[in-house]
Amino acid sequence: MTPTAAFAPRASLRASWQRLPREARDTLFMLFVIGWTVLPHIGHLPLWCSLLTLVVLLWRAQLATTNAALPGRWVLIAVLLVAAGLTLWSYRTLLGKEPGVTMVVVLMALKTLELRARRDAFVVFFLGFFIVLTHFLYSQSLLVALAMLVSVWGLLTSLVLVHMPVGQPSLRQASALAARTALWGAPIMALMFALFPRIGPLWGVPKDGLAKTGLSTTMRMGSVAEMAQDDSIALRIRFDDAVPPPQAMYFRGPVLTTFDGTEWRLANFDSVARLRAPLNLSVRGAPVRYEMTLEPSRLTSLPLLEATGTAPVVEGYRTIQLPDLQWLVDKPLVERLRFRAEAWPAFGYGPQTSSPLLRENVELPAGYNPRTLAWAAALRRDPAYANAGPRALAAMLMQHIRTQGFSYTVAPGEYGRNAVDEFWLDKREGFCEHFASAFVVIMRALDVPARIVTGFQGTDALPVDGYYAVRQSSAHAWAEYWEAGTGWVRADPTAAVAPDRINRGSRLAPPPGLVAGALGNVSPELMASLRDGWEAVNNRWNQWVLNYSRGQQIDMLKNLGVSSPSWEDLALLLIGALSSMALAGAAWAWWDRRRIDPWIRQMDRLRAALRQRGLDSATHDTPRTLATRVRAAFGTQGESVAALLDTLERQRYSRDTITRPDTALTRAFVRAARGLRPNPP
Amino acid sequence: MTTATITPAGLARRRFQQWVQSRQPRTDTLLLTQRNVYILPTRAGLLFAITVFVLLLASINYQLNLGYVLTFLLAGSGVVSMHITHATLRGLTLHLKPITPVFVGDAVLLDVVLTSPGSARFGIGLKIAGAAPGSATWLNVPALGQATAQVSFTAPSRGRVDVPTLGAETRFPLGLFRCWTVWRPAAQLLVYPKPEHPAAPLPMARVVPGGAAQSRGANGGEVEGVRGYRRGDPPKLIAWKKAAKAMQTGGDLVSRDTSTAVHQALWLEWQQCGGLDPEARLSRLSAWTLAAHRAGAEYGLRLPGREVELGGGDAQRRRCLEALALWQ
Repeated sequence: MTPTAAFAPRASLRASWQRLPREARDTLFMLFVIGWTVLPHIGHLPLWCSLLTLVVLLWRAQLATTNAALPGRWVLIAVLLVAAGLTLWSYRTLLGKEPGVTMVVVLMALKTLELRARRDAFVVFFLGFFIVLTHFLYSQSLLVALAMLVSVWGLLTSLVLVHMPVGQPSLRQASALAARTALWGAPIMALMFALFPRIGPLWGVPKDGLAKTGLSTTMRMGSVAEMAQDDSIALRIRFDDAVPPPQAMYFRGPVLTTFDGTEWRLANFDSVARLRAPLNLSVRGAPVRYEMTLEPSRLTSLPLLEATGTAPVVEGYRTIQLPDLQWLVDKPLVERLRFRAEAWPAFGYGPQTSSPLLRENVELPAGYNPRTLAWAAALRRDPAYANAGPRALAAMLMQHIRTQGFSYTVAPGEYGRNAVDEFWLDKREGFCEHFASAFVVIMRALDVPARIVTGFQGTDALPVDGYYAVRQSSAHAWAEYWEAGTGWVRADPTAAVAPDRINRGSRLAPPPGLVAGALGNVSPELMASLRDGWEAVNNRWNQWVLNYSRGQQIDMLKNLGVSSPSWEDLALLLIGALSSMALAGAAWAWWDRRRIDPWIRQMDRLRAALRQRGLDSATHDTPRTLATRVRAAFGTQGESVAALLDTLERQRYSRDTITRPDTALTRAFVRAARGLRPNPP
Repeated sequence: MTTATITPAGLARRRFQQWVQSRQPRTDTLLLTQRNVYILPTRAGLLFAITVFVLLLASINYQLNLGYVLTFLLAGSGVVSMHITHATLRGLTLHLKPITPVFVGDAVLLDVVLTSPGSARFGIGLKIAGAAPGSATWLNVPALGQATAQVSFTAPSRGRVDVPTLGAETRFPLGLFRCWTVWRPAAQLLVYPKPEHPAAPLPMARVVPGGAAQSRGANGGEVEGVRGYRRGDPPKLIAWKKAAKAMQTGGDLVSRDTSTAVHQALWLEWQQCGGLDPEARLSRLSAWTLAAHRAGAEYGLRLPGREVELGGGDAQRRRCLEALALWQ
């Protein structure tokens, strides 16, 4: 391919872009911005919605370039109804986040087909801003923020284009004007962001409101893998004394007991007897004292280090401990919490003797995983295990996992109806929840009470400011089985296959992307330094933007010298700052009013200088008339001043005019005029 | 006549308009300052405010710090756009160029020159106050430069007519605010009577011996038997001596007048339009004036209480039409 061949199509594309009529160009630009704004949603939207949006945008672009008529209203209504039907079909509801986002995207695309009046354009822009916000429900990462910054810029540019009705303003000009507007607005943004009091939710939001795939009260095959993609911080922990070893870092979340074949759920604490069942916690050794900062999870579960025995004091919440060792608060966590607690890594708990309450821990749904059940029955028939206790059976299963070709992967692929069968007997690859599920199902099949515990395992290897971060991707699922005389015993089958995962606390990591993988192969050092730099930027982003909350606001007020700050102080400060900004704006407008044509200002200065030498002049005198009068009044000694005036005349009125007054000339003139002496009469 | 009833609201509105107009002295050159530039949010601005509010609610409820960033960025841009909108008009100078007279019912073109003392201004619309929003003329004013907008309206009636109140407005850059000014130019416009159409035939010219000499002596300041050079005069007709003298003092060539002996005088008279009402007579006289001018004739105009002496050329046409426009 010759260079000309490579450049020719680009040049012709550019030429045809420039030849487009103004209206078509603006419409295409807006469609592009809309496409860009919707693009990151593709992962969350049903396929039909992405396709519909793409088709509608392309259709609209084609209509714009051919200047064809827009479709009638009935077509749009029909498409909208179909889209609503498809949404209902995809989600079984029209309410909630996902159907809402789907419908907003469809509305946005269809509205572009209705762009007739200026009002329609405004609707598109404002829908666009909504879509930008919906992205933040899914991710608030730096990349998303940058992409959305581009979107907002594009939307503002489109708005500016609408309000430049004359001529063919270039996109560069319009986008520069939009950027100027936004940049001048940035101080207001920064001020309001820093000072706007962070208050809790005004009303309850649906559970799925928070896009974070954090801990959940249910578990299906695959749901933890989703969490692995989410690197945001779930909690931070700081230890008063020595840091416990990684294999002791289990943060206990919801305990899942009920299994219906596909999904694990919480046990029913519907009776007082269950709720009041004794915990029987016994601890050994010294406690680990720690301080925890917990990000809002919207759950009532408090993922504390195992085993935290005494109730932590959490301001604004009541805490209770369930008989399954899990800590709960009385309402969903919607703000960042900081509290202190102490845990005993060496502990035992649970009933010592068999009780009817344990029965639900051996129940299995009928008709699921028949081959695994048969495998367990065969094991029972094996004389070696016919009378084995729970501990020996657990050890045997761990050994089986270690030796029978099981492997740990975050992307094991789809599992079908009998997921445990497929996992345990066929594929033999999966991650924590597959191992935990299979372990519990087999233990139950062997008539040993067992259940799944979810939570977090492990922390970042290195602390930041003394805090070890636990990320959403550290989410983990492990198992517990019950043994008479001992109580509940933790068993983590993942440790058997991927000891690194537990001992070093390394998190579930998604496989590297194509580029990252290639780069990692070519130059590991470069890869590492890039990753470190990215982590540092990201960390700052998290610290300064995403984690900015009431605590930081209060700290800032304390630094400003407010003794006991409250959110009312913040509000007052915000109002004061905004008022002074408004005053500054008014002052600017007032100053701007007095601003006059710089040429006139220059002439005023020159005339003032001449007046001091006794030569009065009128506002309408041109530099040339002034020069004539200077020559008449001062003779030869006024020649230099008069020459400057002639120069000014040329600068303003001759063919090669300059656009701005020459300040050097003004200064030279004032200096020269000072030397003038009135002619002797 | 349909809305002759006086309602309190209508009265208040009229009072308000009178007050506004009294605040705006008539002037042909208007400098826009904070005193005469007004600004209010548009409907889109209110929609925008609602959008920002909903975004804020969503950010609070979902605890989205980036949502706060977006909300406050939009709010800040909105506030800044208010200042930019206001600054688009503020500081501009509006100047109305002299207006050429027109006939009743014709479109009057007003040339308005906008001068910017500083930065470039975009998206300024000029229109007659009270006219439909779509009738505005849009223009940009370059930095430290000028731009001319043409605004047109239909000449309503004969005579000296006040130039209607003009309005300049802008919604640049985001359309959230509408900034406008009201300008009452001091200039008046001369409107001639509408020429009758189809025009009645010109009245017969009468032969007036020596009459032409009289008239020329009165209105030309020329010497008898000599007239100003007209295109097409043969060189032998030119009075070279007089022409040389005239040109020394900045004058033009002078020709000998060969038609002094007998002159055809065309008088356009009020009485010749019998049976019509006054305005219709003026219309007919207006049409005759144009016809006589086109024919290159020498003509005069007689109205009750006003007479325009015989003459020809553009000046005569203007004199006659002016007399018709301003009669009574």
